[in-house]
Amino acid sequence: MRRVKAVHLIAGLVVIALVGAACSSKVNNGGSSSAFKGVALSGAGATFPAPAYDALFKTFQSQAESSAAVNYQAVGSGAGITQITSKTVDFGASDAPLKDSEAAGAPGLLEIPTVLGAVVLAYNAPGVPTGLKLTPEAISGIFLGKVKFWDDAAIKSDNSGVTLPHKEIVSVHRKDSSGTTFVFTSYLSKISTDWANNPKLGAAKSVTWPSGLQGDGNAGVAQKIGSVKYSIGYIELAYALSNTITYASVKAPSGDFVAPSIDSVTAAGAGLTFPIGPKTNVLQSTAAGAYPISTTTYLLVYKDQTDKDKAQTLVDLIYWIEHKGADSAKSQNYAPLPASALTPIDALIAQITVNGTPITPSAAVKA
Amino acid sequence: MTNRAFTILLWSAGILALLPLGFIVGYVVLKGVGILSIHFFTKTPAIVGQPGGGIAQAFLGSALIVGMATLFSIPLGLLAAVYLAEYGTGRFATVVRFLSEVLLSTPSIVAGVLVWTVVVVRLHAFSAFAGALAITVLMWPIIARASEDVIRLVPIELREAATALGTPKWKVVLRVVLPAAASGLTNTVLLAVARGLGETAPVLLTSLGSEFINWSPGKPTDTLSLRIYHYALSPVKSWHDIAWGAALSLLAIVLVLSIGARYLVARSKKGAQ
Amino acid sequence: MSLTRNTAGAGTPLAGSRRARLGDVLTNRIVAVAAAAVAALLLLIIIVLATGGSKALARFGFGFFTSTKWIPTEEIFGAAPYIFGTLITSAIALVLAVPVALGLSLFVTEVCPKPLRTPIAVLSDMLAAIPSVVYGLWGIFVMVPWMGATLEPFLGRTIGKVPGFGTLFHGNPNGGYNIFTAGVILAVMILPIISSISREVLSAVPRDLKDGAYALGSTRFEVVRGVTLPFARAGLVGASVLGLGRALGETIAVSMVIGGFSGHIGFSLFNGGDSIPSLIASNFNEATSAGLERSMLVALALILVVISLGFAALARLLVRRANRQMRASFARAAA
Repeated sequence: MRRVKAVHLIAGLVVIALVGAACSSKVNNGGSSSAFKGVALSGAGATFPAPAYDALFKTFQSQAESSAAVNYQAVGSGAGITQITSKTVDFGASDAPLKDSEAAGAPGLLEIPTVLGAVVLAYNAPGVPTGLKLTPEAISGIFLGKVKFWDDAAIKSDNSGVTLPHKEIVSVHRKDSSGTTFVFTSYLSKISTDWANNPKLGAAKSVTWPSGLQGDGNAGVAQKIGSVKYSIGYIELAYALSNTITYASVKAPSGDFVAPSIDSVTAAGAGLTFPIGPKTNVLQSTAAGAYPISTTTYLLVYKDQTDKDKAQTLVDLIYWIEHKGADSAKSQNYAPLPASALTPIDALIAQITVNGTPITPSAAVKA
Repeated sequence: MTNRAFTILLWSAGILALLPLGFIVGYVVLKGVGILSIHFFTKTPAIVGQPGGGIAQAFLGSALIVGMATLFSIPLGLLAAVYLAEYGTGRFATVVRFLSEVLLSTPSIVAGVLVWTVVVVRLHAFSAFAGALAITVLMWPIIARASEDVIRLVPIELREAATALGTPKWKVVLRVVLPAAASGLTNTVLLAVARGLGETAPVLLTSLGSEFINWSPGKPTDTLSLRIYHYALSPVKSWHDIAWGAALSLLAIVLVLSIGARYLVARSKKGAQ
Repeated sequence: MSLTRNTAGAGTPLAGSRRARLGDVLTNRIVAVAAAAVAALLLLIIIVLATGGSKALARFGFGFFTSTKWIPTEEIFGAAPYIFGTLITSAIALVLAVPVALGLSLFVTEVCPKPLRTPIAVLSDMLAAIPSVVYGLWGIFVMVPWMGATLEPFLGRTIGKVPGFGTLFHGNPNGGYNIFTAGVILAVMILPIISSISREVLSAVPRDLKDGAYALGSTRFEVVRGVTLPFARAGLVGASVLGLGRALGETIAVSMVIGGFSGHIGFSLFNGGDSIPSLIASNFNEATSAGLERSMLVALALILVVISLGFAALARLLVRRANRQMRASFARAAA
């Protein structure tokens, strides 16, 4: 008798759980008279902007739409594109613009730039302070495996005031399919014909690195750099700053060595052009004081949405980030986009529709 | 080799084998105990770099996912165990028993790949439900196989007495055998739950993880194991501290379940005598 | 391996009522279905993985076992480095764990004072219960730095100087994130399972034979070497193979410390590497459905499960056979 009752109870609980799932996954229509509170969203993608998105999404929920719990999983740009293509998430995120093949696989997917960041050469070399001056030749040499020691002439010649150890350089790169890798390898392809012409290398989210350690995500690479002595890798500025990892100043086309910062990234970002295409980038900017390895990062959203509340939340979120998110972004050491980008971005947002009806940003974010 | 030399060798092996345990548990306790606080258990993560915040969603998510997995695996596993212990005598039973033992060694990533391919891709969603299914794949053989041994321990006299009174077999099993084996069966469930709580790879591929408390089986959900994994691999120092606290919590729960299970077995063995 | 009585078949009903018969028929069916479901699960795993991986296998054939290129952007997949990484970390784990596990189980069955036996078994079970991710966490923050700063340079200075064999211990580029560290952590993880099965096997060795040998004046070492181990050999091998199966399938702890494959398979254990489970866990989320990468990863999962479950099946058969042989000898000796 006890056992039978138990089985019934268990079966009942399972049924309840499943029914609960069906009900709660339907949209929660809040009171229609009060302001739109948003709904929960899920997103996945780049680790590059993850600290900025963490601050932006949480501040959006606390300041604008209290029910908009945005669950963002930083799994890498490649994974983000895969997931939004197969629609397992509501939005994707990538530092690399869509390739033609990727765009073809996800028709109607909008790429909306959000913030600007810097890919820095972060290193862990005891005795070497931050601000090591690196030329494009030194950087490409290190990652090609040609510059093997910290006190190689390529590095020494620009850093006469620094005592460089005679130790082997351990390079750290990304294991996963990464937009940060894409940006960095695009830079390497621009400054090094060896890199550009090598079939195993070139500009891509994932390349066959000649040597070195791997890390998962920006976080994984930063962690490896932090714990492995004499290592150097490419990560976003925020990761270097928040974990007190020393990073290099890079020689710009003008000949000056520029340190990555909100200002030097903003200077580079002024060159962002629309429409966004596979070749869009702000690398090697010739603007004064621009950091050579700057980039923007994109949120990937379908223009034809089916869920009205989710679409409204998405529109509001993106609008809020573009128009009101500057302080949050800066608090994490990312730069907001130049004012000139706002008009084309608003035009992109205006393309988001539900069953043909365009969704406009709600009062909650326009105020 | 003299007796003494051999004895010393064996004592050394024994100590060497158990040393890592003391080391790991001790280290986890040391690093983790300082981070435990009320808000560690009750709050969700703060913005990265800001203090406060906790991993409440991971505790609740683990409970949700492993809870569902337990609900799925108990009936399946128990019924299979009943068959093996009470009904199956022939070739079929031998094969099933062998297969359930073999399935005990399923790599956890494979459970994840299986459910990912069948559920996540089809439904276009990561979910606690998918995570629970993946954990079920791992928990089910444990319950099936271990429960069989427990049921067999029930003295044959009890069964024969009940049958002699005219009770049909299914009632004998339901009303006599299973209740007699109750504490041993609880033991196997606790062991399976301990296993389920500790798994990371299956939920990584099916439930995605989250920073928000989620009760809906259809949405991505966090677990303690996922939180430890993500935070351990991050460069953020405050997240490392939280990872140690989470590891301490997870370890404490798992060890209590496993040791508690042993205590129950000891009691049930005494009871059966 | 159950030493309990065969209770199946006990309790068949006498001339029962219709309701009793119906209840029994129904119950028979239900439990038989549940049991069959277990077998079905295994089939489901194989079928789903085979279907998912068929695209990749058809495209690459068996060449992908030997190829070393993995360039997803060009859809070139070669699994050799990952198969290599899986095998070598498991090999290191076995080499380190089997002797220690054997020592531990001999300790418990031969030398350990009786009151200590249960606590030690409890401790060993605790070691088995520690989740993989906790091993990984400890691995990253404790083992990796210690390996990189202390043990590996030490080994490089000592064993590394031995010609030939020493090349296994050369260099230390990754500061502790490498195959050797992964192997050591794996060894700690598989030790409990090898030791607990070995303990069972060793305690089933017939007492009479051992007592007889002792009566003839043998030392403990001679009894173990001459009686216990030969008798228990098949079961001990089974225990080790079971440990191997666990090592092959271990994902999380290994992926956290193994460092990642860096371009070429070198000879040193102190190089970074990668294993099949770790590869699947890192890349699964980004394998596009249209391309071959997802199919490739599923194919690798299929191979992994076939190998691990194959070893597990072999191990269980060995252990059963060993126990049967020992029970038979026991019966003979008692007769």
